[in-house]
Amino acid sequence: MTLQRWVGVFLLFSLLAFSWGVPLIWPLDPARQDLMVLLTPPDFDWSVGVTALGTDHLGRSLLARLAAAVRLSLGLALIGVVTAAVPGVVLGVLAGWCGGWIDRGLSLLADAVFALPGLLLVLLVLAIAPGSFIALYVGIALLLWLEFFRVVRAQTRRLRQAPAVQASRLLGFGPVLLFRRHLWPELAPVVLTLAAFGAAATVMATAALGFVSVGLRPPVAELGLMMTELLPYYDEAPWALLQPVAVMALLGLSLTLLAGKDPR
Amino acid sequence: MTFVSLEARALRVRSRGVNPQTGQPDQLVEPVSLSLRPGHAVTLLGETGSGKSLLAQALIGALPSGLVAEGEVLVNSVQQLTRTAAQRRALWGRMIAVLPQEPWLALDPTMQAGAQVMETRWLVGGQPRPQAWQGARAALRHLEVEAAETRLPGQLSGGMAQRVAFAAAHTGDAPVLVADEPTKGLDISRRDSITALLRRHVEEGGALLTITHDPAVARALGGTVLVMREGAVQEQGAAEEVLIRPRHAFTRALLAADPEGWPRQAGGGQIGAPVLIARDVGKVRGGRRLFSGVSLHLAAGEVVGLSGPSGCGKSTFGDLCLGLLSPDSGTVERPAAAPHRWQKLYQDPPAAFPPKVTLRASLMDVVRLHGCDPAEIARLLLRLGLTEGLLDRLPSQVSGGELQRIALLRVLLLKPLFLFADEPTSRLDLLTQQETIGLLTAAAREQGCAVLLVSHDRALLDRVCDRVMTLPAAA
Amino acid sequence: MGPLIGSPLVRLLLARVGQGVLVALMVGLLTFILVRALPGDMAYRIAAGRYGFDWVSTTAADAVRHDLGLDQPAPLALLAWIWDLLRFDLGQSLVTGRTVAEELSHQFGQSVLLAAWAAGLSLLIGPPLGVLAGLRPGRLVDRGLLLVAVLMRSVPPFAIGAVLILVLAVQARLLPAAGYGTPAHAVLPALTLALCLAAVSARVSRDAVMTVSGSAYYGFGRTKGLGGSLLFWRHGLRNAAVPVLTYFGVQFVALVEGMVVIETLFAWPGIGHALVHAIVARDVPMIQGAALTMGLFVVAMNTVIDVVCHLLDPRGEPS
Repeated sequence: MTLQRWVGVFLLFSLLAFSWGVPLIWPLDPARQDLMVLLTPPDFDWSVGVTALGTDHLGRSLLARLAAAVRLSLGLALIGVVTAAVPGVVLGVLAGWCGGWIDRGLSLLADAVFALPGLLLVLLVLAIAPGSFIALYVGIALLLWLEFFRVVRAQTRRLRQAPAVQASRLLGFGPVLLFRRHLWPELAPVVLTLAAFGAAATVMATAALGFVSVGLRPPVAELGLMMTELLPYYDEAPWALLQPVAVMALLGLSLTLLAGKDPR
Repeated sequence: MTFVSLEARALRVRSRGVNPQTGQPDQLVEPVSLSLRPGHAVTLLGETGSGKSLLAQALIGALPSGLVAEGEVLVNSVQQLTRTAAQRRALWGRMIAVLPQEPWLALDPTMQAGAQVMETRWLVGGQPRPQAWQGARAALRHLEVEAAETRLPGQLSGGMAQRVAFAAAHTGDAPVLVADEPTKGLDISRRDSITALLRRHVEEGGALLTITHDPAVARALGGTVLVMREGAVQEQGAAEEVLIRPRHAFTRALLAADPEGWPRQAGGGQIGAPVLIARDVGKVRGGRRLFSGVSLHLAAGEVVGLSGPSGCGKSTFGDLCLGLLSPDSGTVERPAAAPHRWQKLYQDPPAAFPPKVTLRASLMDVVRLHGCDPAEIARLLLRLGLTEGLLDRLPSQVSGGELQRIALLRVLLLKPLFLFADEPTSRLDLLTQQETIGLLTAAAREQGCAVLLVSHDRALLDRVCDRVMTLPAAA
Repeated sequence: MGPLIGSPLVRLLLARVGQGVLVALMVGLLTFILVRALPGDMAYRIAAGRYGFDWVSTTAADAVRHDLGLDQPAPLALLAWIWDLLRFDLGQSLVTGRTVAEELSHQFGQSVLLAAWAAGLSLLIGPPLGVLAGLRPGRLVDRGLLLVAVLMRSVPPFAIGAVLILVLAVQARLLPAAGYGTPAHAVLPALTLALCLAAVSARVSRDAVMTVSGSAYYGFGRTKGLGGSLLFWRHGLRNAAVPVLTYFGVQFVALVEGMVVIETLFAWPGIGHALVHAIVARDVPMIQGAALTMGLFVVAMNTVIDVVCHLLDPRGEPS
């Protein structure tokens, strides 16, 4: 593994530790408002924790909200990527290996979904049920499976025609052994990379939608939403706005570094 | 500037950095002296990795940045190694023309051939545009490829690309021509036409440095020959001397490895039951009729050669015999037996193995799948001159010759009735080729396996096959 | 006709037309589901939009219901819906009552303006830096560029926009943070989009230049005696430009996605902003019109780029 990937892994684990560690150490409610302490700057008082990273315009603890937002983003990314990768890989292998009408049908479907810019697709799905976690998840999964499908299909088609596969067929290898020996060793690193890119895309799309107020609704703690909410106070409390921006950047960076080279 | 000579005196090449294991820089080419003069050919003959290309690069000043040349390179008695890279590059195109390997890749795919010939005269030679065009057209006419002028490289045949590259390589009167493996990947007729081109350069008073692995090319060019091995010159002298009366054992082995000089293998072993009967087989691919009415009767233990010009469908015919393709006309009959007893050896050995699985795992898959005796692996390793340790490596970690023998081992495990060997040694050096072909035919005859051996080298087939079948050029 | 249909450019254009139809079908399908899934009686809402709230009656609603085919079974209604769409009959906004085409024409102009600025700016920043890095791989420019590109890719455009606002508008007070009207208002949104695009196109250009300069024909050009910059102009630029331009087409997707968010951030009255507003207001005809326009815009720009690549690369096969 490259140094770049190790840095990505390290960052990701730090963020995971932060987001799941904070509620264990400081049992704070990310939605709890306290109108006595609006936009207090960080005091780094870790004994209580509420104002350690400051508070937002409703007096909510930024420490608690950031941790909750990272949990939400990564959680959504994880289930989104897993539910997209499984059908994406299975259908990609199927289309690439079998060819014929299976390939033509699946490719047409993929082309249709791919014809629209991804974010527009998610927006239109989300418009059906604004603010709904399920709609957001469906939209993102609908978008993500496509990348897996396209890349896996192309790789499978290439591998199927390789002399090595022909040789193994002549040697009597069945589909299972062909998959284990020829397909999976080549596909696994690509799938891993796509998963990391997909997770990054999910995190960013969620934030972008939250930011333009069509994603998740307040009072949910979500990075994009936090940025919109804090943007009007950029003059009074730039440190408050910069926190979700920085966390977003770290999340994106960790996943991009983890992904490695783009296979597309 | 008139050209008198280009000389190397005790020229050697080493790595710039220090090898951490030895604590010293790696010496890649041992001291070599040679002299290029007008009307004279010099040929560097050696196998892959013998350092012959590095020596040529050191001579013209084109070494990769990690390598250093030491000793003396003299152009008209002026030392070159102390000059700057830019000063040395100023000779390229004007004094030294470099003919690229695989010229069809060396031409800019998005520029017409004529413009690529003309630009050297215009931009390097400093001729005015109309004159440069005139010169370019004249050069193309001289080489009998006027038709290439307005074509893109992708629209040229291999032979035409070779001539265009030849014309584009210099401003028109570069006295020194350096050709690095000019016959790589060519069949015999194309090989002969390019050596004729090179000879003409010498006859017209140019100096020629050719790098090749093929003794036939060295023989055709004459002049001085340097035989290289592992970075050192083994033998150096006039072509007639070195190639006809070699003194060094390595030169003798190298020359003996040329299929022209192989002893004829006694065929006529036990001919057994038929394993394959193809009757009047024909095949169309990509809208082109490759062949039709081809028949072949093959019996156990026979080794049959298959030759023919490039693109005539040799591989396709083999795949028909294996049942990988079905014929458009005619029939292919094979006796009832398990399908895995018809096997194939591939041209590019690494392409025939799953790249991320150790060789042992690949072999054990076959053993498990077909219930072979694992002890058979050890016996075959010994028979094919391989060591057990190789099996723990990945396909990319063993040499091409070793890998081809392991591929042979893998198919022999299955006691094949029929083996289609599709140019199994065309990517290997001559010595390795001789060894591999010898083992292949001997092992097949021992096991009573029929072999259909494809090669573009007719001499090779004549030496080792019981009979040779020729496919005509495709329609 | 035979050779015409077979020619690569015609095949390419036909594929793009097909893509355009797919865009329309997808938008139509999704907005159709949207209409059917909306709570409340759609017909009343549309009738209100069309005739004004005071004039809504059951008769008017029934007329609308009939117009939209809401009284038909779903498959038939879907066909009618898509048929309207393919005729570019986009209907009227539920919010303003004006036709969607009228509403969008102004907003689309604003978006195209912003997109043109952003795309032009990104071409001025990205490829030149990429070429510089690609010609000297491993040097300072290359490493610096890699770092910046990875950072930019990791952060969504609106976060970059927010940082630019903080630095250039709030701290330095050089530029207006939001709104439109003067050229100065376009600088921040265009720059934000351009930086995001340039980060990627610089990497693509670098890789393209590396591929070309490592190629056999580039090496041959060198030994022919063509010096550094001459070699690049004769054999480098054209060969490297084709993949860069092809990728530039792909980037229009990112540009349109970025526009949705960036126009909202900077209150730029473009079509992305309109789409977001329409979604919040559940103005289905506007959603449909805006999404369709943006989707077709991407297809149109890709078509232009296909043609340019075709002209640039005489081989006639797009890479």
